[in-house]
Amino acid sequence: MSVEERRSFACFGGRVTVQVGGAGAGAAAKAAEVQLLDAHRRLSRFLPESDLSRLNEDPRGAVKVSPVLLELAAAVRRAGLLSGGLVDATLLDEIERAGYVGSRADGEPRVDAPPRPGGQSPRPAAPNPARGWSLVSVDRRAGTIRRPPGLKIDSGGIAKGLLADLLAKELRAYPSYSVDCCGDIRVGGAGGQPRTVHIDDPGGGAPLHSFAVRSGGVATSGIGKRSWVGSDGSPAHHLLDPATGAPAFTGIVQASAQAPTAFLAEVYSKAALLCGPEQASGRLPYGGVLVLDDGSIQVVEAQAPRSRTALAR
Amino acid sequence: MDAHEKAQRQRQARHRLHAQKARAGRLRNRVIAISLVCFALLWGTVFVQMATGNDPVLGSSSTTRTASTAKARPAEVAVEPEARAETDTAEAELEAELETESELEDESEAEVAAELEAEFAQAEGEAAEAEAAELQAAEAEELESVTSGQS
Repeated sequence: MSVEERRSFACFGGRVTVQVGGAGAGAAAKAAEVQLLDAHRRLSRFLPESDLSRLNEDPRGAVKVSPVLLELAAAVRRAGLLSGGLVDATLLDEIERAGYVGSRADGEPRVDAPPRPGGQSPRPAAPNPARGWSLVSVDRRAGTIRRPPGLKIDSGGIAKGLLADLLAKELRAYPSYSVDCCGDIRVGGAGGQPRTVHIDDPGGGAPLHSFAVRSGGVATSGIGKRSWVGSDGSPAHHLLDPATGAPAFTGIVQASAQAPTAFLAEVYSKAALLCGPEQASGRLPYGGVLVLDDGSIQVVEAQAPRSRTALAR
Repeated sequence: MDAHEKAQRQRQARHRLHAQKARAGRLRNRVIAISLVCFALLWGTVFVQMATGNDPVLGSSSTTRTASTAKARPAEVAVEPEARAETDTAEAELEAELETESELEDESEAEVAAELEAEFAQAEGEAAEAEAAELQAAEAEELESVTSGQS
């Protein structure tokens, strides 16, 4: 193994690991840790004093915010556009109603088997007709976010991939780096050396699949973690069907996506999980891995560049 | 000199002058005609030579060979029976010599082939060693893997 500076720390309700190779890697990895912890303090909805919490409580239509929150707001709109509204980061009230009101970091009880309400048949999720994500806009020159007062943003679905990408910009001159934000990963480096990215088994077994990635992102979304038993006794998790505002049970328990950036991978993996097994492969233009609720595994090959362009439209 | 004699001399002088001019003209015409003929002959020769494919620059050896063969044939025809026997012997000797030469060539070719094979084997061994070293270096430099799981 090559010598890379490695820093692993608690962040975003999980474990973040930054690895950097080359001269000055130690300082770069330390700076990355500081930057990510600062972003966590600014973007966590569980911290009342965070920039995000203050924005969500602000009664004004346009609010001047920190640069990192500005990036998040811009990403909210992009995620909605890229997923046709399936990845909707404006469903904060809905997720709190579903029971996700406090941080569910590592160490909390984990539901061993992916939750699924008894007797309910899987159903693809659909976008919310209100399209809250499309009401968020950013004025970069003024440094302000515009959205209807009362519309709340949730950083949980997109912030990790976004921050991995922002950090990648800082680290791109180093021969090698990887930023693993709780499973949303961005790898790269000036050396162009491939790095193996394993896809975790939701059942806790050996990795399901591996990608060799020179530069790009890999993200995994699933309903096995950050899941709980609701007040009515039914299982619940953090991936909501935007149309109903309730946890989505689509027949897919885990979706992993490969993409040029971690943010894209995160959006693709969530969209694939939410749209169900029949349409999921079409949501993974750069390839990925699906785990269905019957335990079967599907490896999705990357589509031809032309098909990817069509999908982007 | 009387007037009649003077007129006759003048007539003769004019006649000579006219003859002289006519001769100069004939000479000039002849020179021009000869030059033209020489020019045409020279270029005609070049044209024929080029047209028949005997470019002296490109095909000097083949031309020479053809000429020598053409010269040898009449000599062969003129050879006496005794002389022919001598020629046959000489030919047999020549053939034997050629065979020996060819054997020697075969031997040297085999030697060269063996040398090349040995060189190739050595190079192949070196390449395999280099590849193994590179692989080892690559393995040593392999980046630590990461795992993407549910967040």
